[in-house]
Amino acid sequence: MAVLPDGDRQVLHKDIMSELSSRRESLGLTKDELRAAVDAIDQWIDDNAVSFNSAIPLPARTALTARQKVELFMVIVKRRWEVS
Amino acid sequence: MASGDTLLIFTPLHNEPPASNPATFDTRNAHPVLDFDASTNEDAVFSGIMPRNYAGGGLTVYLHYAMSTAISNDIDWDAAFERIGDQQQDIDSDGFAAVNSVDNTTVPATSGLVDIVSIAFTDGADMDSIAVGEGFRLKVTRDAASDTATGDAELRFIEIKET
Repeated sequence: MAVLPDGDRQVLHKDIMSELSSRRESLGLTKDELRAAVDAIDQWIDDNAVSFNSAIPLPARTALTARQKVELFMVIVKRRWEVS
Repeated sequence: MASGDTLLIFTPLHNEPPASNPATFDTRNAHPVLDFDASTNEDAVFSGIMPRNYAGGGLTVYLHYAMSTAISNDIDWDAAFERIGDQQQDIDSDGFAAVNSVDNTTVPATSGLVDIVSIAFTDGADMDSIAVGEGFRLKVTRDAASDTATGDAELRFIEIKET
C-alpha cells in the first residue's frame, strides 16, 4: 500500500485538530508542524510495511488478508492508546 | 464626548451564522463560545444599531477569545462592517466593507485563558460609513489560512468601543 494521497493527509490533519479541540487537549505545535507529523507517520508506516508483515507469525501471516492485518494493527494501537 | 465609550457588546448568542463556513456554537464549562476552525476560514455575523451616544468617530472592535488546544504560536482575526442604514443596503445581498485585521497575536500559554485583541476602524469608508442610529452588521473571521495555532479558537465576547 502506498502512502496516503495529499488530500487524505489534509483530512487527517483537520480531523486530529478537531478531535483535540473537542477534548480541549493542549498542543504546542504549529499547524505545519502537526501536518509534518502526519506526513512522517504515514511515510514511516509505508517504509516499515515489510517489517510489519514479517513480524506476524505463521500461519497468521499467510492466512490474514492485508486489510485484516491492518485492522489487527489498528485495534492493538487503539488499545495501547486507550490505556496510555 | 463618546470617545472611549463602549457602544455595543455581543456574545456568541447574538451570532447570525452565515450560510457558508459559519463559526459553530459550543460551550466551555457552560460559557457560550463560537468555535472557529483551524483549517477553514469561518465567519460569525452580529447585527446592531449604532447607539445614540455614538459621536461619529472611529471604532475599535475588541475580540475576547480562548484557544481549545493551542498553547503557543499565533492567531489572525479579521473584522468588517456592513452599513444597512436608511435605504443604504439591499439585504438580499451582502455589502461588507474591506476587512481590517489583527495578525500574528501569540495565543495564551494556557488553553482556556481569554485573550483580548483589538481591531481599529477609522470613521468613514473603513467602517462602511455607519452613522448614529443606523443598522449594521459586523463580520468576524478567523484567518485560519494564514495563522499557525492549531485547533479551534473560541470567541467569547465582542466589544465595540468608540475609539
